[in-house]
Amino acid sequence: MGGARVSMDIGGTFTDVVVYDETDRRHRIGKYPTTPADLAAGVLEAVASVVDQPADISFLVHGTTQGLNSLLQRRGVRVLLLASAGARDVYHIARGPRTRMYDLHFSKPRPLVPRRDVAGIDGRLDASGAELEPLDERAVRTAAARYRDEGFGGIAVAYLFSHLNPVHELRTREILLEELGTEVTLSLSHETANEWREYERTSSAVVESYIGPAVRGYLARLGDELARRGMTVPLHVMQSSGGMITAESARRRPLQTLLSGPVGGTMGGVALAAAMGRPNLIYVDMGGTSFDVSVVVDGKPDVAPEVRLDGLPMLMSAVNIHTVGAGGGSVAWVEAGGLRVGPRSAGARPGPACYGNGGEQATVTDANLVLGRIEPESFAGGRVALHPEAALSAVTGFGRALGMDTLSAAEGICAVANAKMAQAIRTITVARGIEPRDFGLVAFGGAGPMHAVFLARELGIREVVVPRFPGAFSAWGMLQTEIRRDLTEPYYRLDADVDGAELADRLAGLAEQGLRALDGEGVPEAARRVEHAVDLRYAAQEYALTVPLEGADEPARPAFLQAVAARFGKLHEQRHGHANPGAPVEFVALRTTVYGDLGKPAAERLARAEGDFPRRGRPVVFDGEAVESLIVDRADLLAGHAFQGPALVLEPTATTVVPPGYAVRVDDLGSLVIEEER
Amino acid sequence: MIDPVTVEIIRNALTSAAEDMNAMLIRSAYTPVIYECGDCVVALLDDRHRVLGQSAGLPIFLGNLEVCTRFTEERFGRDVWRPGDVWILNDSYLGGTHLNDVTIFGPVFTGDRLAGFTATRAHWIDVGSKDPGGSMDSVNIFQEGLRLGPQKLVSGGEPVYGVLDTVRTNVRFPYPTMGDLNAMIATIEIGQRRLAELVGRFGTETLRLAAEEIFDQTERLERAVVREIPDGVYRAEGSLDNDGIDLDTPVPVRLKITVSGEDITFDVTESADQTVGPVNCGVAQAVSACRVGYKMLVSPDVPGNGGSFRPLTVEVREGSVFGAQAPAACQWYFSHLGLLIDLVAKALAPALPERVAAASHGDSMIVQCAGTDPRTGRDYVSLEATLGGWGAWAGGDGETALINNVNGSLKDMPIEVFETRFPLRVTEYGIRTDSGGAGRWRGGNGVVREYVALHDCSLSLWFERSVTPAWGLFGGAGAAPPEVVVNPGEPDERRLLKCNGLRLSEGDVVRCLTGGGGGYGPPSERDVRLLDADLLDGNVSPGHALREYTARVSPVSYS
Repeated sequence: MGGARVSMDIGGTFTDVVVYDETDRRHRIGKYPTTPADLAAGVLEAVASVVDQPADISFLVHGTTQGLNSLLQRRGVRVLLLASAGARDVYHIARGPRTRMYDLHFSKPRPLVPRRDVAGIDGRLDASGAELEPLDERAVRTAAARYRDEGFGGIAVAYLFSHLNPVHELRTREILLEELGTEVTLSLSHETANEWREYERTSSAVVESYIGPAVRGYLARLGDELARRGMTVPLHVMQSSGGMITAESARRRPLQTLLSGPVGGTMGGVALAAAMGRPNLIYVDMGGTSFDVSVVVDGKPDVAPEVRLDGLPMLMSAVNIHTVGAGGGSVAWVEAGGLRVGPRSAGARPGPACYGNGGEQATVTDANLVLGRIEPESFAGGRVALHPEAALSAVTGFGRALGMDTLSAAEGICAVANAKMAQAIRTITVARGIEPRDFGLVAFGGAGPMHAVFLARELGIREVVVPRFPGAFSAWGMLQTEIRRDLTEPYYRLDADVDGAELADRLAGLAEQGLRALDGEGVPEAARRVEHAVDLRYAAQEYALTVPLEGADEPARPAFLQAVAARFGKLHEQRHGHANPGAPVEFVALRTTVYGDLGKPAAERLARAEGDFPRRGRPVVFDGEAVESLIVDRADLLAGHAFQGPALVLEPTATTVVPPGYAVRVDDLGSLVIEEER
Repeated sequence: MIDPVTVEIIRNALTSAAEDMNAMLIRSAYTPVIYECGDCVVALLDDRHRVLGQSAGLPIFLGNLEVCTRFTEERFGRDVWRPGDVWILNDSYLGGTHLNDVTIFGPVFTGDRLAGFTATRAHWIDVGSKDPGGSMDSVNIFQEGLRLGPQKLVSGGEPVYGVLDTVRTNVRFPYPTMGDLNAMIATIEIGQRRLAELVGRFGTETLRLAAEEIFDQTERLERAVVREIPDGVYRAEGSLDNDGIDLDTPVPVRLKITVSGEDITFDVTESADQTVGPVNCGVAQAVSACRVGYKMLVSPDVPGNGGSFRPLTVEVREGSVFGAQAPAACQWYFSHLGLLIDLVAKALAPALPERVAAASHGDSMIVQCAGTDPRTGRDYVSLEATLGGWGAWAGGDGETALINNVNGSLKDMPIEVFETRFPLRVTEYGIRTDSGGAGRWRGGNGVVREYVALHDCSLSLWFERSVTPAWGLFGGAGAAPPEVVVNPGEPDERRLLKCNGLRLSEGDVVRCLTGGGGGYGPPSERDVRLLDADLLDGNVSPGHALREYTARVSPVSYS
């Protein structure tokens, strides 16, 4: 094997691996159990099984859930927070909203740092960044002593207005390094998130310190081990923004790896949209315990400047992924004589009744099994042995409680789950001003293709696409991404007060800083590019929209303000349904993104079909009746093959369900394209 | 008979149609009070004005849109509904709230058959009141702005230019206001489309049967809870400090709850007569507040619909603060509603000890400054609600520093945003130690927020609940009341809770302290480890611990 480009998506249960062989230009996939106790060990095993020797690897990128798990399971280090003395409670006040309106027992998301571990440090800047009161250096040294004495694992520093003037945070770092040595885990808020809003910036810095040691340790271990085994290229990691960075850089900015895993799917979506020439797609990723939705509009991922996990906000570029349901594990239950599905999930343990782990309640997966829409032998690549009789008994019991026969109950569970998922998708698109009818629906994840056609029907979407390797689509997507670094700088003023030449200089400075950062990422000069944008809003709004610029020099051009205001107006119109031409526009922040292209696999075209593919049949239930349906092995399908539902397309990682009245064709990329027959 | 799958699909579709309407309103509104503060509500109603689906940005908007369509029909007759019509209304005595809350609604027709209604209400930033945005000291409705009974904005698809023009010429900010008006029309239209689609997909009769079954399910869930409450009469009362005009006279709120089997009646008729100051609301809003108090105990997680609140009857006296009659001022319509919501939990505490909570700090605690920013020469008005503590409950401490119940999911303004926008400095923003009531479960703490004026400006305050600070339950202690001190420790120190346009000079300090929430259960039963944690975290001071939890503290360790 020659150069192998390898990507890995490390999930909770399985690690998906995709290898692109640069010699024969083909993709191959593998699936390996994740080893939660020592993730690096599992990754190494997965690498070893697809590549003969690590030296063959010409490029390696992976998505890790190390940081996310450490956050969600609350297994990070004890963090000491240094905050401005007059505002030391900002982290615990947490802006005070009540997000469950009728809950008398409401409590806020649990903070990562208890109040006792916040040290108030005197020193204050004003709203222009000018110093009002010098930093209390003695208080910083006292905090350092406390860190040493009490066995903390990380420090976060977040002072008011540090995004305008980091002088106090920088001096604090000098002192802390002096006192504690250079190995201490330390996040300065202006470096983690260089934006205003002290609570959100503090929270970002705290999360980074909290998960830092776990992410750094993991990346160091993995990098060392791969190098020891002869891998010669740097290890890359996906970032929440949808771009990647070297593990080396990620160790400095571990926060960026938080959504490392799921973003691969969206980036795969961007690549697929380009390859198919379909710029507007809705992506549904349905697994055993999750149902995620993301959108690609005009060929671009939907990247937000802020994300919230477990209730805690973080200011960082992150692909918008909406988690809207519980996937195949959603439990069916009866309430006040009514049929309900979800939101509770049977999870991985005990899981659906058919897992045979003691789950007794019927789930969506059980219903699919009863309807014959899952092949028990090949579920999850044959790794999970299913017990159809347990599913049958759970669904029958559930139906009896509502006076329904077993098949009606099973179809009812699926119908309600589909309706709920479709409605969730619709609300997300309405909020963005998108009409789902005009979009295509792409389904991946183990259970996505099983439900996709039904979702499309509910939404009035005409075309459903199931890409190749739907179970490993996220890993596939990672091979399609670029190096990405995001830089942000506050820039708050009314448009009337903007000095175009000065603004252009500042953007040029950001670009230089970003390109310098790429030096360490191994990106050839010719493969680098820079994009600039500004956050704008109408005066008095709180949230801003990110408006792209034509280049760092655009602000220096004549009539820049009119041009950017018009562009902002257009975006505002798209997002909010109206614009306000002539109203004063506020600048809030500058955003510069640098990209480095390390090469991507060419879209792999599937061979054209010359003859038919092997066909067999068996009954599957649709509309209350078991109808003889076509059973197809995905591996037998070539470009140009076509067939009609009712059918099931089987592959090791997923099953695609095609109800009667729908036709399937296989396109050049090997995607199944499913449309209603006219 | 209708099958349970269809019922459930329709149930979800109706809830989701309301969410779509809400998403449309938030997406299209022009002013932050709607799209950031969520001061709005949407609903789909059936042809008998029963709620099919709704989505509220503020809890007290729960279930009072149907009043508007029903009243319109009662006044003008059922034949008044015509396809392509859109109506507007903001009369406080009908809608219940202040004139800023404008309701826009319209009938939904499929063919020539009336299928139902869609409606939305949102807060407009100005409706032409004597002071911009609204006043704290209005004494009659005529000072509060434009007041519209039900009338058509759009007739048979054609705009009614006279009415639109009346609106435009009576508000201070016509551009964003007309933007919000159009957003609201777009909102009811998306609801009309969704409802018409459902009629098309399932048919009128199936939809009707499904709605009946959905209502019945909700009713069964609620009745099962009400049945748990022993029959009897439950009472609770408290007082607002004053009406904002006569600062020496408290305004009593009295609640009598009668439970009989599966039915429950909230009677607020013994509450104060309507006041001169603006703490009055229309009957519809009193009903909504009672529903919020009821829902928090009975059905917090059940989506509201036409089956909700069937076990509940509300009795209101016209001419009281809950049944304002013209020309009573209604601008500050929510302060006594917040108190009423807390009183529901207090009254029913003996019957539902696991579900209730002790009282919260209770009101919006408004701080408003106005002047000309010396940095830019531009006029500004800052307006902030201040967070406070919530009450403890069986199994948990009350939350610290939360927004009050009527303000929903409103967030505080970051110091960095505040100081950038306004020529004021926040010198302290922190948790107010010891302000929560002691108890086996401790009340949440309020906050301290201290400002310095960086130039001469004017200050308005609306702080409440010093006469009835948050109470404890089952032996839990009450909480500290709010306090505001201007120039603390200086010769010109002043304590006050409400003021309107008080002059501040450069360097003046305004120190605002909000109340905590009440405690639950005797302090002597508090787990020592929890008390230790409170002392370590500084939520409770050693002195307070010694006073309130004597038996539980070893003074040595925390002196």
